[in-house]
Amino acid sequence: MKVLVTGAGGFLGRRICASLLAAGVDDLRLHFRGEAPDALMSELRERFPQARIEAVAANLLNRGNLGEMVANVDCMIHAAAAMRGSAADMFANTVIGTRNLLEAAGAAQVRRIVLISSFSVYCTEPLARGGMLDESVALEADGVDKGPYAHAKTRQEQLFMEYRDQFGFESVVLRPGVIYGPGGGAFSSRVGIQAMGFFFSLGRGARLPLTYVENCADAVASAALHAEPGSAFNVVDDDLPTCRRYLREYQRNVARLRVLPVPYWAFVLGARFLKRYHRRSKGQLPAVFTPYVVRSMYRPLNYSNAALKAIGWKQGVATEEAMQRTFRYFRELRASQ
Amino acid sequence: MPGSAGDTIVRAIGGLCFRDFQQILENQTLRIGIVGCGKIADGHVEQIRAIGRGEVVAVCDREALMAEQLAARMRIPARYTELSRMLAEQKLDVVHIATPPAAHASIACEALAAGCHVFVEKPFAPTTLEALAIFDCARENGRRVGVNYLYNFESPGLELEKLLAEGSLGEIVHLDTSYGYNLGGDYGLAVMADPRHWVHGLPGKLFHNVLDHVLAKVVTHLGDESSVQVESFRRRAASGNDIVDAMPDELRFLIRSGKVTVSGMVSAHARPVTHALKVFGTKDSVELDYATRTLVRSAQQTQPSAIGRLFPAWTQARRYAGNGWRNLGRFRRHEFHYFEGMRVLLNRYYDAIEGRGPDPVPAADILRTSRLIESIVAASKVAR
Repeated sequence: MKVLVTGAGGFLGRRICASLLAAGVDDLRLHFRGEAPDALMSELRERFPQARIEAVAANLLNRGNLGEMVANVDCMIHAAAAMRGSAADMFANTVIGTRNLLEAAGAAQVRRIVLISSFSVYCTEPLARGGMLDESVALEADGVDKGPYAHAKTRQEQLFMEYRDQFGFESVVLRPGVIYGPGGGAFSSRVGIQAMGFFFSLGRGARLPLTYVENCADAVASAALHAEPGSAFNVVDDDLPTCRRYLREYQRNVARLRVLPVPYWAFVLGARFLKRYHRRSKGQLPAVFTPYVVRSMYRPLNYSNAALKAIGWKQGVATEEAMQRTFRYFRELRASQ
Repeated sequence: MPGSAGDTIVRAIGGLCFRDFQQILENQTLRIGIVGCGKIADGHVEQIRAIGRGEVVAVCDREALMAEQLAARMRIPARYTELSRMLAEQKLDVVHIATPPAAHASIACEALAAGCHVFVEKPFAPTTLEALAIFDCARENGRRVGVNYLYNFESPGLELEKLLAEGSLGEIVHLDTSYGYNLGGDYGLAVMADPRHWVHGLPGKLFHNVLDHVLAKVVTHLGDESSVQVESFRRRAASGNDIVDAMPDELRFLIRSGKVTVSGMVSAHARPVTHALKVFGTKDSVELDYATRTLVRSAQQTQPSAIGRLFPAWTQARRYAGNGWRNLGRFRRHEFHYFEGMRVLLNRYYDAIEGRGPDPVPAADILRTSRLIESIVAASKVAR
């Protein structure tokens, strides 16, 4: 079975390649936006000498030029995504890139397509405090109120379903929580934000839906190989820490921060004020936090990975060990700078 | 009977009707459409809404998903993939053109022919010929053309305008302009990551996309005859992609027009990313920083000896403090938005449309900018 991984040079993508090969895939095509990184290709070929590993460079925005990339592919894992940039760029790189890819994959009759989506597509605002976020929770209608990233990912998933209906490929969707690990970011905005020399601790006692990048990659490989067509999976690890504990461990292991704790009620009030000020000042300050965003992302919830476990996924790296590895990476990174 | 209850009622109704009529007139907003739904379109929609003189009723992009995303995020009622359909159905007063520049002339002429005024993003047009074609269409159809040379309308630009009108600087001797570009920022990354990005297709590549901002601030002091000297080169390491590597990222130029000279720097490597202008006059000189929104008179020693050299630093500190206070006032009055200059410019442009003022950026300045860009690009190719 030939498997194509888009965004194979990315933080998650490169681990997905290793997980697929470890799971027995022996014919892998890796997509990169530019040239294939030599180090990654050599490492994979050394670790998995029996596998056929090939690289292809393509810009997913080039509609109509992706046929060669998807030719003879049985299963495609679409991990390429835009994580930064303006709202329009994020949308173009996420949604239009996906549309172009699905058009090509549909025409090439790719049998199975796995989409790496996000927690941000869930409509979590109506959930009660302490409620369970699992795959049964409704999705956002358009995600606009949760910001450009949620908007792009929500539309991407909708498009994915439209093309599944049109071309009839087997669809599998994975929605990871906060992917972390060496090479990733230190803090999700769920934990807090750094501004003006302070770290504003926002998530506090809420559970942080972490998934260590290698565990997440294993989950993608499991789902690609074993999930029922039409299924969707949340990807989170076991033993999730609270945001407060993550921050404490970071400070203990990496660096001290000047932390300003922001209680949930103050955060909601602040977001309400910011939204009003944004409107009154005609956009002088951006309404990055609105009451809807705060209620959706910062209320304490519980998370389930039962569906993933049901298809045989096991957490390879325990959360404690994963956090230690991650903090060690940040500590060494700081020391080298 | 005058003063009776009936008369009061009639007056009240009359007054009410008049007020209503006035209200209706005041509320008669311009119907505006946006063509091109990339990142700069957000700025147009936000500033049109902020000044409240027009309503964005429709957006258009050849890529249906891009039109959809802008309409969805900004809650705009109509979206199109064909300009002709938008123009026919929406009866627009103004079309804002925010597409890549290669399409500006054809879109502008189509919109002008449909009776719309046009407001064009920079770069105004890839060539002077295309710029002239836009103005010819505008003349034929009796419509106004605006361009988003927003920095002349930021607070330092407006203060400079005032100083020049007062004659405080005397005659202009020299202007030194600098503009930084962050290739690691949102815009820079988009250009660097995609060899098919439209910037690579411009004759002057990256510089062609920013020179409007650099030159629009100085062209008003230049005549139509000028000579240009240029140095340009790529300072960053090669990426391995021929198209991306063909894009220089450092530019220096010297323009002479009569008795006035302009020196300029566009740099992708100098830090902090600068955006400044120094104006040297026969009476006084000023330094404008568009990034921090300050304008200060240049330091001058007015007292003799070592004692005299102690004073200018404090004088400058006081001048910067004054700028700080004024900026605080602007922030308090909600006049400190990132696109505040665009807001002022659009207000003046809409005034011009409604016959209440001149074009905020005269056609002559746009054409002179266009010609200078062509000269710099041509000289830059020779220099490389």
